[in-house]
Amino acid sequence: MTAQSVKWWSLVHKWTSLVCTLFLLMLCITGLPLIFHDEIDELFKSEASARELPADTPQAPLSRLVDAAKARYPQRYLQVLGWDDDRANVVNVFLSATPEAPPGQRFLKLSFDSRTAELIGEDTQQGGLMSAIRIFHRDMFLGLPGELFLGVMGLLFVIAIVSGIMLYAPFMRRLNFGTVRRIGASRVKWLDLHNLIGGVTLIWLLAVGVTGVINTISLPLFSAWRAEVMPELIAPHLGKPPLAKWADVDDVMAAARRALDGNTPASIIFPTVARFGTPRHFIVWTKGTTPITSRLFTPAMLDAETGQLVTARGLPWYLRALQVSRPLHFGDYGSLPLKIIWALFDLAAIVVLASGVYLWLGKRKSPRVPTRAQDGPPVVATSGIRP
Amino acid sequence: MKRERHTMDEIFRWPLLLGGLILVGLASALFGDDGWDALSWAALAIPLAVLGWKASRQPHLPGS
Repeated sequence: MTAQSVKWWSLVHKWTSLVCTLFLLMLCITGLPLIFHDEIDELFKSEASARELPADTPQAPLSRLVDAAKARYPQRYLQVLGWDDDRANVVNVFLSATPEAPPGQRFLKLSFDSRTAELIGEDTQQGGLMSAIRIFHRDMFLGLPGELFLGVMGLLFVIAIVSGIMLYAPFMRRLNFGTVRRIGASRVKWLDLHNLIGGVTLIWLLAVGVTGVINTISLPLFSAWRAEVMPELIAPHLGKPPLAKWADVDDVMAAARRALDGNTPASIIFPTVARFGTPRHFIVWTKGTTPITSRLFTPAMLDAETGQLVTARGLPWYLRALQVSRPLHFGDYGSLPLKIIWALFDLAAIVVLASGVYLWLGKRKSPRVPTRAQDGPPVVATSGIRP
Repeated sequence: MKRERHTMDEIFRWPLLLGGLILVGLASALFGDDGWDALSWAALAIPLAVLGWKASRQPHLPGS
């Protein structure tokens, strides 16, 4: 690499890092408890499990659960029914206070035993600390603009990583891998640690960074998909009066199961004017049964009035990519040991970020060390240190 | 004090090797549970262990 290009890359590394570091530090720190959110939630909020019943106890019709939920809260609006991820034989019914259910409105969650249709829990989902941390990590309480802003910071972070790789070689030309020089200025030590930790965790940083950026555009991606499929679905119903009565939810499920045989149902979106559904359809979200396909959701759209299948097409590639990128960001796909590993990498990332700031601050205070021209590129210009 | 200049190969050998392990670790837990998870833990733990070892080494003279 020529001296000129080293200079250019160090400028890129400096400025992309400077702009994004504060936000990345925030993301790393808030991300740390989020890695363990399942365990923490369990610690503070014990949700009732379904009763012990013989294994062959049949499932109750879903309509019994739905009717029970409606009877309990007749003034509320039925939005979603979901099979609980963590609790066997538990189905949750979500009701909203208003028909549109704007983003941010919390649904009332009623948990039922799916075999006895008995109500076992009621949760207003008022959030609490973990939920606040999650929202701050996602958008800093600023909604979509905040989310997209963090996406841009993530992109800068990725550029900072790439420029860091470019600068690694000139710095390491005379050092063995992993050398940490502990004699002399502490700046030298921290520069070596910055290079060592950054160099080792690089692929993890890139994976979590890129998937984080992809996650920030999930709302626009879903909107794009909606805009693509909705007009065609809604066209036959334009101008018709609102529905007086829906098809039976169990008939709807049976039709969905026939269409997506081999998939497991995950949730049912009831006919709704909210943005995640349509007023004229049930949407049954299903997922695959293998470790990889269980991350991939396929929706079946069914006519709200007749319960007939309308379409059960797979999602477009960009939503599939989004779904697969989620576990790679959260680290929640390999049990507790993987979460602990994720946390250790996260701590390493904090050290890389903090040492980067320290090196920049130190450089501004201390005068530059003169360099020998033939000693290599003017990396020294960015670090004040001879490689 | 005069040390040899490393080639690109030498400079990137270890980071590439450890990066490859991380890649294997990230992917394998996606493919399955149990054995795949265990492979993932092992592949990801090695770079962390190397990191801990290198970062905690006692002071030494340059060039040693």
